[in-house]
Amino acid sequence: MSEKKILIIDDDQHLLLGLATRLQANGYAVVSATDAISAIAVARTEAPDLVILDLGLPAGDGFLVFERMRGLTDLMATPVIVLSARDPAKNKKRALDAGAVAFFQKPPNNREFLTAIRQALGETTALSTFLKT
Amino acid sequence: MISEASGRVDACQYLSPAVPIPCFHGRTLVDESASMELSPRLRDDLLNLDAWSEILTTYGRTMRVAVALTDPEGHVLGKCHNAQPAWRLIHDAGHGWGTGCPFCIATSPPCTAVAEAMQTGGTVMVRDQAGLTHVAVPLLLGKRRLGAIIAGQVFDRYPEPLPLRRVAKEYGVSAQQLWDVARKQRPVSRAILQASGDLLCALGHAFLQQRYGAILEANLAEANRRFRFLVEGTRDCALFTVDSTGHVTSWNVGAERMLGYGEAEIVGHNFSCIFTPDDIENRVPEKQLSKALQTGRAEDDGWRVTGNQKQFWANVNITALLEDAGPVRGFAIIVRDVTERRKIAIILDEARWDRTRLQEKFLSHVSHELRTPLTAIYFFTTNVLDGLLGDLTPGQREHLTFALDNVKQLKDMVSDLLDITRVETHKLNVEPQHTSPVKLIAEALSTCRTNAAAKNISLRSDVRPDLPFVWADPARVRQILINLIDNGIKFTPEGGTITVESRPIVEGEGFLCLSVSDTGCGISPANREAIFDRLAQVKSRAEASRSGLGLGLFIARELVSRHAGRIWVESQLGRGSTFCFTLPVFSLAKLCAHVFTASNLAKGFVILIAVDVVPIEGVVQADILPEIRRVLERCIHAGQDVLLPSMSDADPVETFFIVACTDPSGFTVIASRIGRELQNFDSASRLKPVVSSTTLLVPPGQSTKEQTGGVTAGIERLVRAHLLGKERLK
Repeated sequence: MSEKKILIIDDDQHLLLGLATRLQANGYAVVSATDAISAIAVARTEAPDLVILDLGLPAGDGFLVFERMRGLTDLMATPVIVLSARDPAKNKKRALDAGAVAFFQKPPNNREFLTAIRQALGETTALSTFLKT
Repeated sequence: MISEASGRVDACQYLSPAVPIPCFHGRTLVDESASMELSPRLRDDLLNLDAWSEILTTYGRTMRVAVALTDPEGHVLGKCHNAQPAWRLIHDAGHGWGTGCPFCIATSPPCTAVAEAMQTGGTVMVRDQAGLTHVAVPLLLGKRRLGAIIAGQVFDRYPEPLPLRRVAKEYGVSAQQLWDVARKQRPVSRAILQASGDLLCALGHAFLQQRYGAILEANLAEANRRFRFLVEGTRDCALFTVDSTGHVTSWNVGAERMLGYGEAEIVGHNFSCIFTPDDIENRVPEKQLSKALQTGRAEDDGWRVTGNQKQFWANVNITALLEDAGPVRGFAIIVRDVTERRKIAIILDEARWDRTRLQEKFLSHVSHELRTPLTAIYFFTTNVLDGLLGDLTPGQREHLTFALDNVKQLKDMVSDLLDITRVETHKLNVEPQHTSPVKLIAEALSTCRTNAAAKNISLRSDVRPDLPFVWADPARVRQILINLIDNGIKFTPEGGTITVESRPIVEGEGFLCLSVSDTGCGISPANREAIFDRLAQVKSRAEASRSGLGLGLFIARELVSRHAGRIWVESQLGRGSTFCFTLPVFSLAKLCAHVFTASNLAKGFVILIAVDVVPIEGVVQADILPEIRRVLERCIHAGQDVLLPSMSDADPVETFFIVACTDPSGFTVIASRIGRELQNFDSASRLKPVVSSTTLLVPPGQSTKEQTGGVTAGIERLVRAHLLGKERLK
């Protein structure tokens, strides 16, 4: 089975590098986009298995990216995990309502974050999650 | 010398006769002066010599005696009126007033007539060595001794040559001359002297009383004048009085200026004309007067209207004018125009709110901006630490671990900052649910373990495993515990111990008390309140550590109070501190109180419905559980059934319980509604709801409370059994 591809959409280059290193070490291919407009283009050409999305982006809000993705047949079903510095009290519900599978506030805990990624990619079953905890 | 009372004195003294001399204490004088201190000025006024001179002169001339006013010590004030020839002869020869009684022609021992009169309050009669007699009467104002009047210098029988000769020799005057003068002086009998002494006493007191009354009246008039001046001169305040029905009886210049009615035009009219039409319709003027009548006074801030129909914001004080236990005479009303003050208060309030909002915006921005670089640092540090970029030497590993600890600290501080702004803008929310404190304590302790281990501090938990569930926000309770434990770690030296305990419930049965004790430096009594303040770090404690913003305890206090709990610290300097806080205990009975009414319980059974939401594959995402809860809430009859909060902290949270007081047919209706609604919600059919029910017989009880107790215990048992069974199945 070929490695799964994750698209990170975030405007912070260092964060991209740090997170990509972690994800690659866990066996994922990583592509990135740094603004709302290129994000859609990259998503269409790369067809990632999962998108990690920041909410505060140049050239548009993260929610805008969400809307556009949902409007495109090829990206409609791609799971999205939101990773944002914004206050979860205000944004978590909105993100989940918009269709995100999880919301993490920066900085996330590595272990929890990776668990969520695995879950979103369907690599883990309910039972295994249950047994782990 | 005549010696009638033997021995004690040379100058014989006739004390008052057996019948006591009436003492003219004016009644009002006694009453008033008893409660009043006589000022020196009042005393001088009362004994004003010019005023007394007339009455003394008249008395002396009429009674043909000498008369003089003295102070309480017997010194003559002013002059001796109508001095008698024999006495004057000796006096003019250079005798002078001397030290003793001024009327006595005797050198030793001194006459004590005045002193005695002062003491007995009656007339005292004395005859001196020359045979001259005088009386002393006291001047009393209540119990205060103002002075005395002496009258006499007359013989009470025909003069005797021998004593006169002796006296003439002693004072160096011609015996013949003295005899001639004395012989011409008409004697006055003792009875008449006594009577005239009593008369003098009465006269003196009557005059004193009159004088006192005149002084009081003058003072009163002066005070009245000042008061009128004050009331009428007050221009910034409306001062007016109304009668018991609210009709104006007086109106000052301030009222005229502020309210726009002249005195002539408003007196006699009802004061309700200064109220707004709405207030008049709602009978506010009457209500205010009746409130003032009941409590003595009434204060109110509100709109009032001037004669020109201009509205202003007024502060109004109404005082009832009451006489002791009598009916109300009226009301005094003070109105102040505080429109400007109110405007300023509103502006200040807005400014404060703006500032808070700006502060929140700023802090929220700062915390947001800090989080992004923090995340990059976190990723890089953990990446290197986890060996993603190659192996590390033990030294490198150690240093990076320190870096990671600091990242975590920084992260906590950023979270604290945001919490602070939430406190200020009242956005710090807690979402209480059915929560196990035991589990939260275990979680908090495990979170703090690393920090504690770094300082070789042991963390202990000494809680009973069967602590009652609390009605609290689990994330927030964990935060409170972590804040308290972290605080303990900060101020406890290496090798110390931190213990989390539960305490016997302190505030009735409604609350659980948890405590976090350390073996640190302790807190002095003076600081025990202050440490909960924002940005508080007690100086000596601050040396212990630099970490933290000093917000931990402040946030803990806010969170506890949002749970309706209480937090406090007990401490002994040098021995350690114990932080205690209370949380409301979860009460099924309270939650179901509106379901378990007497009439519902009379039906005889309660149904517990369990809804297991089983996913077809994978797990139910925790995030959709609240959604399911909302769906279920729509399916039940609000006010008749209760959807219980999540009753388990173990994993199968996807079980929901409903308590209903209904018969089995009611259950069928609810079950089918739940099936339908959940299907609508989960159109992709990833969930399979399993609805089951258990009927619980209501035990017969004497009271609703007993029955409720039995039912809730039954429900708790059933819930536990259901969850246990499910777990076994897994």
